[in-house]
Amino acid sequence: MPYPFVPERFPAVLPPLGDGVDRVRHRVAIVGAGPVGYCVAIGLAVQGISSVLIEADDSVCAGSRAICISRRSLEILDRLGALPGFLSIGLPWTGGRSFYRDREVLRFTMPNDANQRLPPMLNLAQYHIEQILLERVRELADRIDLRWRTRLTALESQADGVRARLTTPLGDYTLEADWLVAADGGRSAVRESLGLALAGTSYEGRYVIVDIAMPSDRPTERLAFFDPPCNPGSTVLVHKQPQDVWRIDYQLRPDEDAEAAVQPANVLPRVESLLAMLGETADWAPIWISLYRANALTLDRYRHGRVLFAGDAAHLVPIFGVRGANSGIDDADNLAWKLAAVLQGLASERLLDTYSEERVAAARENLSYGTKSTEFMAPPSFAFEWMRTAVLGLAVRHEAVRSLINPRQTSPIAYADSSLSRVVASAPDFRAGPAPGHVLAEAPLQSIDASARAPVRHDGYLTQRLGSHFTLLHFAPDGTLPADLGGLDAEMRGLGIRWRTVVIGAGMDDATGRLWALYDAARGASYLVRPDGHVLARWRQCHANDVRLAVARVLDRVGERKGGA
Amino acid sequence: MNADELDAVYTALCRAMTAVGEARAPLLLARFALLAIVEIADADRLQQLIAAAAQDLTDPTAGSGS
Ligand SMILES: Cc1cc2nc3c(=O)[nH]c(=O)nc-3n(C[C@H](O)[C@H](O)[C@H](O)COP(=O)(O)OP(=O)(O)OC[C@H]3O[C@@H](n4cnc5c(N)ncnc54)[C@H](O)[C@@H]3O)c2cc1C
Repeated sequence: MPYPFVPERFPAVLPPLGDGVDRVRHRVAIVGAGPVGYCVAIGLAVQGISSVLIEADDSVCAGSRAICISRRSLEILDRLGALPGFLSIGLPWTGGRSFYRDREVLRFTMPNDANQRLPPMLNLAQYHIEQILLERVRELADRIDLRWRTRLTALESQADGVRARLTTPLGDYTLEADWLVAADGGRSAVRESLGLALAGTSYEGRYVIVDIAMPSDRPTERLAFFDPPCNPGSTVLVHKQPQDVWRIDYQLRPDEDAEAAVQPANVLPRVESLLAMLGETADWAPIWISLYRANALTLDRYRHGRVLFAGDAAHLVPIFGVRGANSGIDDADNLAWKLAAVLQGLASERLLDTYSEERVAAARENLSYGTKSTEFMAPPSFAFEWMRTAVLGLAVRHEAVRSLINPRQTSPIAYADSSLSRVVASAPDFRAGPAPGHVLAEAPLQSIDASARAPVRHDGYLTQRLGSHFTLLHFAPDGTLPADLGGLDAEMRGLGIRWRTVVIGAGMDDATGRLWALYDAARGASYLVRPDGHVLARWRQCHANDVRLAVARVLDRVGERKGGA
Repeated sequence: MNADELDAVYTALCRAMTAVGEARAPLLLARFALLAIVEIADADRLQQLIAAAAQDLTDPTAGSGS
């Protein structure tokens, strides 16, 4: 049975060539139109930068890949203008349950409270993810030149750009670009061309990944079964997807033959006995069967001259904890504004070194959580196996050990140790609120449009005020900016820096009063937020000069303006 | 001890067992138990913990790897 989704197929197109070379030298070439390549292209386009996006395939992806998209990713997708598509198809969920044999041993919920606009997790198929992003790319077609059936086969990296060898069914050609973003996935040809290799751990434990079609009213949650009666000795995961598709993952025994294990004759009875145990009686049919083995690998650096690595091309994170696509979307978000600032002549190239610094650190954090989850889900030695058996057996009666079963789902990463988080001396007198490097905490925010004859109230949320620009959040009960800060908006925009000042106070505030406490804000407090939603600096009392200096340091242009640049 | 710390200690124990190998891992666990016993140093509490550890293990498959 096919997936309830028919991908559109696209032909290859050759650009005008001169001597086998694309006549246009591109500012940015992005290799790979997966979730990450799309997000980089859209992120750049939103910043006003054009790119060419190279994709080997002729359609969005097929098969069983990412299904869980995090709240942090949804915030990013919102800034990219793609959120409505995700919310209209995806299934929101907040937690899950784990069972040992026939006993429930853990009930977990992901962080969620009344301040939230978006669900902690949303399930949809990767072809949905890519299709929604593709539609956004088409809206931005004047800035994104998407070339299907075009495969990068070789890459020459030069001091001021790259020369890429591309092959298409219509013939081969060379493409030149000032910068290249490698988003060509786990088997990255770019990585290979540069002679780079991922380093880390590959796990032996194998999982069979099965997508099935089955109507069912079960809620959306993560179900994990350890040593279940239907499949003794195995571990089984169950996830709901939109349109009556279900994802079932189960672990193979070490002695099972991989090729035989994915044959329907071996898969269907195991799925059938699981569904019987769950009490599902509707007719079902398999859609897709594949084998998965966890990797925890990364490059040491994501910038190599004019080549920038993102997503699976840069790191492979185990599926347990759902950090693969989610961390790649974060890479794209971190990269887009920095690359745009460099291309617009606003920042020095060194800003791109902070992309590598911040995202390598994030990958290491993701890998450490992903490794923990994998060691539980696919024990790499007898010791992890024994200890897991001990945890599961004790968890029935002893609550204190249950946290060890928690799947450690992806959560926002803070760039606390980043050099960008240290451009302003920290303000230790804040007792709450996001410190430099952290993402904003969500809170409701109502704006009053007083220009109408009768004031109109718009209900919204703080993160909706963010965009592809720096944001200065200033707290002033009367809703007015001090004169000193009043001119910053125009000044920054005059320099070509995308900028918005948001005053929290009369006219735009949180009727519940939670926002001020959440940010430990009093009159005059300010948070300066980067275009990727991470806090850059905060002040109890802020002066325009503090802000100017912080921005100059981030863009690595301190002293240049005075020096006449 | 928070959840992350519990996690780290759990993983350290798993690594230590893996390093000595399956044959000597029970001895490592026995030694660890003994050190934990003298550290906890509360006889009543320790009797309860021993009983809790043994509970449900009468099923011959409960202790085997799964
Ligand atoms: C079973 C499974 C479940 C998963 N579940 C989740 C989950 O729930 N949540 C999550 O966040 N992640 C999950 N992941 C991980 C997620 O799928 C990946 O991390 C994500 O797809 C990475 O995106 P990407 O754009 O970097 O790479 P890809 O999606 O691999 O895209 C790379 C693109 O580059 C193209 N390409 C490759 N080589 C070339 C070339 N030489 N020239 C031109 N184009 C090229 C490919 O055709 C492809 O379109 C899962 C993965 C698997 C296997």
